[in-house]
Amino acid sequence: MTDRVSIDVIDRIRPTVAQVAQGYAKRLPGMQHCDIRVEASEGVGAYAENGTPKGSGEERGFSFGVRVLAEQGGAVAPGYYGKSLGAADVDNIGKTLREGVRHAYDRARASATHKAASRGRFGKLGESLYDSALASVDIHVDTINAVYEQDPRQLSLEKIMGQLIDVSKAVGGTSSKVRYNGAGAMSLLIRDLFCSSNGSNIDHTYAQTEAVVFVMVNGDTGPLELYDFNGHHRGWEIMERGYDHEYIVAPDLMSFATDLAQQAVATADAPPLPTSDGDVTVVTDPHYNTLLVHEIVGHPSELDRAMKMEAGYAGRSWLLNSINDTQIGKQIASPLVNAVSDATIEGYGSFPYDHEGTPARRVWHIRDGIFEEFLNSRQTAEILGVAPNGGYRANDAAMVPLVRMTNTFFLPGESTPEDLVKDVEHGYYVKGHRVPSIAESRENFRISANQVYEINHGELGQLYRDGAIQADSKDYFTHVDGVGTDFKMYPIPNCGKGQPMQAKRMGNGGPTMRSMAKVVGP
Amino acid sequence: MLPLAQLKRAVQEAVAYLRTVPDVAEAEVFASSNANLLTRLSYTSNIPSNGVEEPKSLESDGIGLRVVFKGGSPLLVGFGSESGDMSLTAVREALDKARKGAVRDPEFVSLPRLGDRPRKSISNYHDRKLMHLTDRQLVELGWAVVDGTLDAFQSSEELLEWAKSPDAIPDLGLILTGDVIVLQERIALGGTHHDHVLTDESALITSMSTSMVEQQFSKGTGWHVGSRLDEFQGTSGAEAARNAIRAAGGSRVPDGEYRVVLGPQPVTDLINNLLIPSVQLGTFQAWASAFEGKLGKRIASPLLSVYDHGALRGHAASKGITDEGLPTGRTDLIRNGRLVGLLSNWYETQRILHDPDAKEKLGVDPAKRRKAIAPRNGFRTGPGGGRHFDRDPGVTPTNVIIDGSETVPSEELLRRVGNGLYIGRIWYTYPINGITQADFTCTVIGDSYIIRDGRIAEPLKPNTVRINDNLRRVLNGILGIGDTRKPTIVWSADEMVHAPEIAVEALHINEIGEFLEAES
Repeated sequence: MTDRVSIDVIDRIRPTVAQVAQGYAKRLPGMQHCDIRVEASEGVGAYAENGTPKGSGEERGFSFGVRVLAEQGGAVAPGYYGKSLGAADVDNIGKTLREGVRHAYDRARASATHKAASRGRFGKLGESLYDSALASVDIHVDTINAVYEQDPRQLSLEKIMGQLIDVSKAVGGTSSKVRYNGAGAMSLLIRDLFCSSNGSNIDHTYAQTEAVVFVMVNGDTGPLELYDFNGHHRGWEIMERGYDHEYIVAPDLMSFATDLAQQAVATADAPPLPTSDGDVTVVTDPHYNTLLVHEIVGHPSELDRAMKMEAGYAGRSWLLNSINDTQIGKQIASPLVNAVSDATIEGYGSFPYDHEGTPARRVWHIRDGIFEEFLNSRQTAEILGVAPNGGYRANDAAMVPLVRMTNTFFLPGESTPEDLVKDVEHGYYVKGHRVPSIAESRENFRISANQVYEINHGELGQLYRDGAIQADSKDYFTHVDGVGTDFKMYPIPNCGKGQPMQAKRMGNGGPTMRSMAKVVGP
Repeated sequence: MLPLAQLKRAVQEAVAYLRTVPDVAEAEVFASSNANLLTRLSYTSNIPSNGVEEPKSLESDGIGLRVVFKGGSPLLVGFGSESGDMSLTAVREALDKARKGAVRDPEFVSLPRLGDRPRKSISNYHDRKLMHLTDRQLVELGWAVVDGTLDAFQSSEELLEWAKSPDAIPDLGLILTGDVIVLQERIALGGTHHDHVLTDESALITSMSTSMVEQQFSKGTGWHVGSRLDEFQGTSGAEAARNAIRAAGGSRVPDGEYRVVLGPQPVTDLINNLLIPSVQLGTFQAWASAFEGKLGKRIASPLLSVYDHGALRGHAASKGITDEGLPTGRTDLIRNGRLVGLLSNWYETQRILHDPDAKEKLGVDPAKRRKAIAPRNGFRTGPGGGRHFDRDPGVTPTNVIIDGSETVPSEELLRRVGNGLYIGRIWYTYPINGITQADFTCTVIGDSYIIRDGRIAEPLKPNTVRINDNLRRVLNGILGIGDTRKPTIVWSADEMVHAPEIAVEALHINEIGEFLEAES
């Protein structure tokens, strides 16, 4: 009988994975590069609605993915393969991996043949069909362990379900206007193994605990639905006690859920926000800026998107027209604006190495208002002629990684959030992010907020619902005239990218900020 | 992929075993084997690119159980699954997981009742060639699209005119991105409460392409959806390239309200992101539909009808049975402007029938409208499609058909608009204030034109317009519905929408992105 899969399976198969990547794969004719990722996970999850249990269970995952660059016919092309595995696969893992490598290799070689033919056939248009290559990185052999107090593998389903039911009942009990609520949570240990043909061998385990709460309220001015996420790379202790660490915002689950419900109840009675005739002063809180930095800094700074690779799905980036025509070195924002991606600091997007073995580091996107650097992969870095900076990740080993934000945030400034409001004669305080909509090259946005308060003579006044701010991104950046000291970071667990769509987890945040934008109501 | 016979045998053995387990009251067994084969395309004329960027696949197989355990009330129900194994060992593991995670859900009524003679709505509707695609064939599908696009670029007189010389054509910033997807699905389903093991096998092929001539600020798209390999022509890229070239030299329009013709893609995007979420029974259950309390009432122009049909032979999203073993079929959603039905699965239908607030939520007594909430859409979809053993059945549309009580040619739609816009492609279409409010926003990203005097006059420059409006206003402001439907897909959606062009009285438009032109 085969043992149930646990993350300990990685210990057992690590030598085999390395051997396939560094032995078997390298012997295949024309092979330029091979890497294999394996992921194993275990933990628990549960969901409650309106104070009653809906479902719970163990969560176990086991999968692998292969990337190959191979030469044939005078060209080099990539090929990939991904598969979900189970306990029955462990005893034959070498054979399974070799089959996966073979599929990826055959695809790469077939594609290389076609690429060479198309180059010849299409003359000048064929010249940009290049030989796939990866910028070099150092070889790393490393093991990184998870940090947690309550081991997700030991967490009882009764405990997590019981707490979710209590939370759901409390949310429902907030007000008779709460008509429906849902609360879900999971706590996992995830272990990633990366082995490449050049010798890298990285074993990284991390905890991931996350909750989502959804509240539907029937207010005086109509129904209102709000939802939000809470989570961190720790065990269930963060849901019971919260997590208090500098800028990380992770309240205990009960406080998180009931605060959201109270916010929904208060807002559902408010009038809808009237649309302004033109731009007005807006002060945005850290939670709102979490989605703002995500959409108008993080995404356009992803180099695969900037290189048009996502033009058919998630669009391009106004930060790059061509290799020789970018915004690098140009003033794109007020000198008060600074933004980075940094997987080395604590946050929901933290990791030591990305999914091609590149060590994480801080990547400066905007420094004193000047655009400085894209987040990249080895492939895109090689094209642009820069060093890889650790942005290549997938949400499962069977999926092909993409360039993804890590912890991407606005850096704090020197103004207190109170002063940013006090200085406003008339404007709006925009609190909590809700739903985004971004233009194709991220050059314009409309992002709705949980609450919008009118500011008159430096004081918060009327609360409005169903409000958003809308602006061209560069106009918004250049009008930033205040950046707060109150830096906060939040989890974003549902960033969609790629085909098939991958919903990736990351950290985003910022301080309170002030700029100009149109406020838009229904 | 695993053979269908193996899935069927695994389910039979699992059911036989589960009947012997003392604490199992009833159980449903679902085995599946899926493959998502995809070539992602990326070509740029002035940036090094691969052409076929990612020839890849995603495979999974396994077995999943839904189990009702004996004793007590409410019923104790659990779910468990095992990946990569369908032996009795895997079934025991899955049962153990289901037992450990079982909960007493007061709204759970029963597992699906298939009747004495469970049946498939359609059989033998899949293409065997699609089920046996080789690595080489997968790669060839992608290169067919890339080569077709490069042919279109190379033979274009317009591109040569703009570039002034053949050598300078790449400097125009030509782009092709997109994908070719082949989805292969096999399932087997059985249960302790019936004797039959149902099986189903389905496959589809789609190709979606976006092309740009960046120097001309133009963008065009092309796409194809089919259920047979021999339907694939590899022409979506060339179509996108020609559309991009055709849309060059566009103009901006100022803020305002415009009459518009919405093309199949914008219709599909609005249907997928705004309408479908609001016509699911589960959304009504949560008080969250934009049409709460309005089943049976008018919610749209009498011109409009919309239905979901999962049993249409030859349609790419058709299935023989749902992932709950129930027949697929037609669910009328909107008929001549009236909301007449909702998409549902077994669980949602059963719980609304026992919900004391059901009449307030729906606006009618569900017991008197059972046909309107028949569970024809219980599927176990995952990222990239597929019918997954490790998921509980949710509610997923299949083939969504937009119809009109009166349909007219495209030229008539343009004539009815008079002066306005033809919107061919929108993006990031989201319910900006939540599903209930039905407000939406999106940007216009390509394939769009300015209409003057009832005719297409000139291209509308892409990425210069944001639409901010409300779904209810759109549905009630229909001027006309086109007579030609095109099966249309949008990114990350599971359903195929067979969408015509639709003319609408008014959409609110904001001009955006002026700074980009100031810089170029």
